[in-house]
Amino acid sequence: MAGFIELMLERFKVYREPGYYKRFDYWWAMVIDLDRCTGCGACVTACQAENNTPVVGEEECGKGRNLSWIRIERYIEGEYPNVKVKFIPVLCPQCDRAPCEVACPVYATYHNQDGLNVQVYNRCVGTFTCATYCPYDVRRFNWFTYNKKNFLKGNGGSSTSFEPPLDQQLNPDVSVREMGVMEKCTFCIQRIRAAKDRAKDENRPIRDGEIQPACVQTCPTKALTFGDLNNPKSRIAQLAGLSTAGDLHYLRESGSKISDISSNPRTYRLLEDLNAAPTIFYLKRVMKNGSSTAGHE
Amino acid sequence: MKKFLVYVIVGVVTFTIGYNVNLIYFPDLSPKQPINFSHKIHAGDNSIPCQYCHIYADKSTVSGVPNVQRCIGCHKIIKQDAPEIQKLQGYWDRKETIPWVKVYNLPDFVYFSHKRHVKAGVPCQRCHGDVAKMDRITRQAVLFGIPYARVSPLKMGWCLDCHTNGAKEFIGMQVKNGRDCWTCHK
Repeated sequence: MAGFIELMLERFKVYREPGYYKRFDYWWAMVIDLDRCTGCGACVTACQAENNTPVVGEEECGKGRNLSWIRIERYIEGEYPNVKVKFIPVLCPQCDRAPCEVACPVYATYHNQDGLNVQVYNRCVGTFTCATYCPYDVRRFNWFTYNKKNFLKGNGGSSTSFEPPLDQQLNPDVSVREMGVMEKCTFCIQRIRAAKDRAKDENRPIRDGEIQPACVQTCPTKALTFGDLNNPKSRIAQLAGLSTAGDLHYLRESGSKISDISSNPRTYRLLEDLNAAPTIFYLKRVMKNGSSTAGHE
Repeated sequence: MKKFLVYVIVGVVTFTIGYNVNLIYFPDLSPKQPINFSHKIHAGDNSIPCQYCHIYADKSTVSGVPNVQRCIGCHKIIKQDAPEIQKLQGYWDRKETIPWVKVYNLPDFVYFSHKRHVKAGVPCQRCHGDVAKMDRITRQAVLFGIPYARVSPLKMGWCLDCHTNGAKEFIGMQVKNGRDCWTCHK
């Protein structure tokens, strides 16, 4: 037991000693430009299709058991003629100091070398602790084995997922989760893995923009951008205003606020005061004062 | 002495039951194939390289079962009159694929790429055993004529043997990010 704790501490140190991020090749991050987001929900659908996420149906959703890894939050301000609607797509921000990783009793969620917050489905025992600790409410729990035929109907549910011929559209690169397993956004790890595979064949690092998670790929207004933050020339580093190496140092090691570091005044991170250091950077929506409708801000 | 005898009898009975249960309930170790294809004749006696038939081994995640045309390519000349080749000819004439039975089956949650392993220089025999000596592909390892254990257990600990530090003896270097869960799990 003591050996296990020592091993865990040793591995924890690897990710927390000064300059640790420089030893790793990539640091995947995302920039979401809220000025471009129209709240169409295409990313939600794309994520559902890409990651074998079951459609649980109305009744289950009513119980708060919805299984979408990305959601569009709506904020409606004002009374009828002067209504403003704001959208924020929220997905797992792969926090650098993630509260969920501290919580897991079986070490099923941890931080890997690419700055991703890993969820290992095989190791998960479903204690729900990570979802309780998550300040963004992006972790989703499989209350049933949704891929079993007629399972939900037998349990009084209104829909089934993946019954033939729908099982033919399952993504073979993503496992179908079973009951009692926590799941969340993986930044489409299967696409990252495929890109790494290609890059290794051609003996080169992964190019900027080569990886597109499903939500990024499908966004009609290109509000979402995905890339490597360790590379200061990448598109997301430019967009987030973190184009010098010193910025990353501040961001990852001193825990500074993004507004103090970033050269882009629009950059912010969701619930930054909680100090979880999420790696999704939102660009604020610029609104004109006194506008009347959502379409003409 | 009597006690010893009881131990021996109980031991033998338990072993026999266990052995038969293993054979009956885990039949996937050497499943019967639709055609009695012998790797011993092809890969062993005639020393055809693995990738002559399994052409995707260094190009794709799966090594690929050869199509019927690849078999017919040689067998329209070689040993046409043998009964097993007649079966093959039947599949070819009916334009059917041969329903080969998969022996090495990994679970759904594992990502395994043949390409990465072949290109890194891991020999096929490391996981699949000495196929050149097998008449029918089997996962049953044999020691002094007695079946014991497996050719490769296909368990996570066995994978990690290489992925942590054992890879040095096969490919001469350590596996990069070998201990990261998302290297293999998906």
